[in-house]
Formats: sequence, C-alpha cells, structure tokens
Amino acid sequence: MFLQVLFLLSAALTIGCGIAVAVTRNLMHSCVFLLGTLIGIAGLYATLGADFVAVTQIMVYVGGIVILMLFAVMLTGGKDFVSRAQNLLGLAPSMGNKWTFALGGLVGVVFILTNIKLMMSVAGTLPVKTINNELPSTVSEIGHLLVKDHVLAFELSSVLLLGALVGAAIIARPRKQ
Amino acid sequence: MNQTVVSYLAQYEFFDSLLALFGGNQSLLAFVIFLVFAGAIVGMAATIGGLGTYAERKISADIQARLGPNRVGPYGILQFLADGVKMMTKEDVMPFTADKFLFYLAPMLALVGVFATLAVLPFSTGFTLSDMNVGIFYLIAISSLVGVSVFLGGYASNSKWSMLGGMRGASQIISYEIPVTISILAITLLAGGMGFGTISAHQRGLPTNWFVFHNPFAFVAFFVYFIGALAETNRAPFDLPEAESELVSGYHTEYTGMRFGFFALAEYIEVFVVCGVGAALFLGGSNLPVDLTFDILPLQLVQVVIFMTKALLLYYVVIWIRWTFPRLRVDQLMSICWKYLTPIAIFNLVGCAVWVVVFNGKSVAQLLMGSGH
Amino acid sequence: MTPTSFDGLMPVVIFMGIAVVLFWGGHFASVLLAPSKPSHLKSTPYECGEQPVGSAWSMFNVRFYVVGLIFIIFDVESVLMFPVAAIFRELNDMGQGAYALIIFLSFISVLIEGIAYCWKKGDLDWVKSYQVSHKKRS
Repeated sequence: MFLQVLFLLSAALTIGCGIAVAVTRNLMHSCVFLLGTLIGIAGLYATLGADFVAVTQIMVYVGGIVILMLFAVMLTGGKDFVSRAQNLLGLAPSMGNKWTFALGGLVGVVFILTNIKLMMSVAGTLPVKTINNELPSTVSEIGHLLVKDHVLAFELSSVLLLGALVGAAIIARPRKQ
Repeated sequence: MNQTVVSYLAQYEFFDSLLALFGGNQSLLAFVIFLVFAGAIVGMAATIGGLGTYAERKISADIQARLGPNRVGPYGILQFLADGVKMMTKEDVMPFTADKFLFYLAPMLALVGVFATLAVLPFSTGFTLSDMNVGIFYLIAISSLVGVSVFLGGYASNSKWSMLGGMRGASQIISYEIPVTISILAITLLAGGMGFGTISAHQRGLPTNWFVFHNPFAFVAFFVYFIGALAETNRAPFDLPEAESELVSGYHTEYTGMRFGFFALAEYIEVFVVCGVGAALFLGGSNLPVDLTFDILPLQLVQVVIFMTKALLLYYVVIWIRWTFPRLRVDQLMSICWKYLTPIAIFNLVGCAVWVVVFNGKSVAQLLMGSGH
Repeated sequence: MTPTSFDGLMPVVIFMGIAVVLFWGGHFASVLLAPSKPSHLKSTPYECGEQPVGSAWSMFNVRFYVVGLIFIIFDVESVLMFPVAAIFRELNDMGQGAYALIIFLSFISVLIEGIAYCWKKGDLDWVKSYQVSHKKRS
C-alpha cells in the first residue's frame, strides 16, 4: 500500500519536474526542477529496494551535481538567461530542418520499440516476490561484490576519479599567456 | 535489521489491540504511529530550536557579563514564543528584483532537508523512527539539501549581500562535507555498519566503549567531525555566509517575517541534529551505562533522556564556541578544510582501518584490561 | 506479527510532508496576521541605504566551481568507500583482514595522491594560486 503511494509520488515528481525542466524559460528554475527529478529518481530506487543506490543518488546528484550546475550557471553571470524569451521547445525549430527531425523521430521510434521488446522479454521473470519482504540490506552485498568479484573495477574507479580530479584542476586553472 | 518504531512496538501486547482497532490494516496503523511520533519529534525539535535562540542569547549574555532577555516569563524563557509571534505578524517584504519562485522555495527546501534528517535520529534503541541500514549515509545525503537552499536563498533575493553569502555558504557547506563524511566513514568502519542501531550496539555499556575512546584515531576523528559540523551548519567561527560585519546577514538578508523564521528554525534544528549525530556516533548515543537484558517502555524514556543530555551538552559547546572564537577569513576557511581537516580525516580513516586489522577491532580499554568480548 | 515491507521509508516521506505543510501553514498564518503596505522603496534590495546599482546576478569567480568539482570527486570516492567500510569488520572476522586492508589502502592512496597533487599545484588555495601564476607570468 505504502509502496504504491511512494512509487506514485516519486514517479509524479520525476515526470512532472522532468517536463518542467524542458519547458521552463529560466535556466535557474530548470536546475531546481532537475533537483526534483533527481530526488524522484532516488525515490524510485527506494521502491525497488535499492536503498544504497537511492541514497547515493541523493548524495552525489542532489548534494554535488546540482550545486555544481548552479555554480556553473553563476559563472556565466545571470542576465541573459533570465530574459530569454524562449524555452527549450521554442528553440526546437532552429535546431535543424525537416529531414533531421524526421531522422530523429525514426531513431526515437526504433529506440522505444527496442526497449519495449527488451522489457517484454524480462517482464515475466521479474522477482516480484522479493519486493514484499523486509527492506533488504544491499549494503553488505555491494560491499562484498566490490571487494571480491569487482575488485579491479573498484580500484580502477579510484584511478578514474583521480584523472577526473586532475583534469578538473587543470581546466579551472588560470592559463599562462 | 531494518527496525522501526512500529516493529519495536509490535513486540508489546497492546499493539495487537491497536491493530484490531484499525481493522487489521497494518500500513494504516504504521502510518498513524509514525505520524504521532513524527509530530512529537517535530514539536520537540521546534521547541529545542526556539529554546536554542533563547539559550544562545542567555549564554552569550553570561559570557559577556550581561543579563540577556529577562522580560517574557521567568528569566525570559518565553522569549522565543514572543519572537515567533512577532515573526508571524511582521510584514512580508520581497525585493521587486527577486526571483519569486525560488524566493519561496529556498526556506522550504531548508526545512525539508532538516526535517528529513530527523527520521533516522536515534533517540533510543526503540524510538528511532526508522533505523535504516544506510542510516548515517542517508543523513549526510539528505542534509545536503540545506546547501542547495542556502545558495537558492542567496540567489533568489537578488541582493548583492545575499548573493555573496549564498555562494560562500554553498561552497563552505560542500567543502566541509568531505572531512565530516570521511570521519563518519571511520566510525562506519569501526562499527561494521551504517545503521544507527548497529553503531549504537557497539558502544553499549561504560563510556570506555564509546567510539570516541575506542582508539586514538577515533578520538581525533570526533574533533574533526565536530569542527566540520560547525562549519556545515554555518556556526561561528565558520559563520562567513552570514558574517554581520561584512555581509549584513548573508543569504537571508532580504528575508523577513515567517520565511526568515523558517530559515532560522532550520538552522537551529540542524545544529541540534549534528549534535545528536555526534552524540550517537562518538559518545555512546542513547546507551545506558549498564548492560540490561530486559527492556521495558520506561527504560526507553530513560534512554531518550540520556541521548538528549548528550546532544544538548554538545549544543552548549557549540554556543560556547560561538562567543569565544573570532570569525575566520574566507581563505583560512578553505585552507582549514582542504589542508588540515581533510588530510587529518583521511589519516584517521587509515589509522582506524589498520587498528581494526592489527588489534582485531578491540578498543584501547579492552586491550588494557586484557579482555575482549 | 511484525509490519514489514518498506515501512522504514514512511517516516522520511512523513517528515518531508510535515515540513511542507508547516511552511505553507506558517506562510498563510503570516498572510492573515501580518500587515501589508507595500511600497517601492520598501522592496528595493538592501544595500546599506544606497540606491542599488545593477543586478546582483553577475559573473562569479571560477574558484567556486573548482571547489564544487573537487567536492564531487571526493563525494563519489566516499560513496564507493562506504560499503567496503561497512563490511570491513566482517571481513576481518572472517580472517580476510589483511586482504581487505590492502584493497582499502590502495583505494585511499589514490585519493591521497589526488589531494597531494591539487595541494602541490595550488588548487586548494583560495587566493594564492592566482597570485602565484601572476608572478610566473611576469
């Protein structure tokens, strides 16, 4: 019962804010609606019993990425985007001609059909049973997998993050002229 | 593992009669019980937040040899109610240049972020509303909403002071989240779990079992956590986002009336929450000093009192620090975070990991007494 | 009889709901109780009594962005470390403490490398890095 309510709330938040991100005219408002979408996705993870992933979603996206986006918007100064007369949908006609839109539509249809086909094949085998049990602890499972089966990925991810850190530092450094 | 206050109450007999009252609808009963407890906790947190403003003024008056508020009620203790009424009856002024939507949203986000952390705060072993497996991790994550709200509050006002305060506040909050998170990681490592129940179960008994006395690294980690928590809640000496002498009032310069009140309430409750987390993680939480095998409801209330005492003592220290230390400069703020606290926190984490392996997870006291259980 | 099935998430939603209700309740109470005499001068942004010049929404220094970037990277690292830290003791009890320690320390050492690099190159300084590069230029 509660699970359905939580799912509906999260889904409504995700979709509603997702649409608002696209149609709002103010870039700052878009960022804030994106916050709502990301929290909604965290709620969806929680309804699937993936507690650790849900919290990670909030921790990384809400706490980090959204603030970074807000900072990035402030880098540009705030005058242009407030007075922008068009929203993203309004910008669409200038993004291509009828051929590009036709091609994009075709790709979209193929993509959706492929996804439906994929989902149909796994829909019957979904482990519905586990959902009504206790909220499972995914933390120790993830921990064991990280240490045993995927230890190389775990270590390499730290190297990847080191690369990202160095790259970020270099990009943001004032250039010598 | 995933214990809630409902599953705690379910072991008593009166729970079944309650369930019968609700026609056997477990979800509805759980909802009602949660609602009652949540209402009680919010009421208590709001009172603590209100009394926090009073305590702040009274303690600062004590430190500066003044009287402080003493008109409303005995010793001025009802001052916070008078302040609340005044805030509600103040005219609501919004700058005409402001971003109206975000101007409304920012204090609400602060309130949502702070209240959501109350859901996992371990008031006692049974009365923890929800003892999630990811408890402390969830708390860190959801409280980062406050950082967003500080930035949005500053941005939406479209006043220069607010904007500067908001930018500073957001960057300060996210910076100090790193040493705090890494210190908490060290405790997760010692306790072997992120749930508050697991963490508190490891600190049962005498104060020698508290994690702050577990090993030298954890002892240092407590101070790293506490300093970082001060900065995360924008408390002095880290109150740069609202530094009166340079930024008027920081990100809430343009906020008046009730919305300012909500910002202030969220801030004071957040201080209480971080003090509670400090008490739960490092100072033994709600554990009684003796190990009892039985469990009755009044015992839970004693636990609540113990937890609140520890948290409020830390709260006192927070206020004491505010009126003792001068404010930092913004470059000092950043270098303290990245060049001192973060390396020290990482060192503590490594130390704790090595300690667990070398001494098989025993605390200093257990090693000294030569007994391990 | 123990209630199960995700009830642990209910308080989170309830508390968020209480926060929203409290906010709007307080808002409407203040709408009812508070006087409202708007004037243009009253609603100008506060600038210590001066006439405000321009908008506050201006370009901000890139250093805030750098702090945000470094934060996200450390954030992701700590997210990855949490599950390993949570089972560290369990692994130690299973007699795999040394193995877990090596895994954990090699992960942290890369993290330390990152912070050492940023420290050395002056990215952690709030003011200095810009002055240093200025000196080099001349």
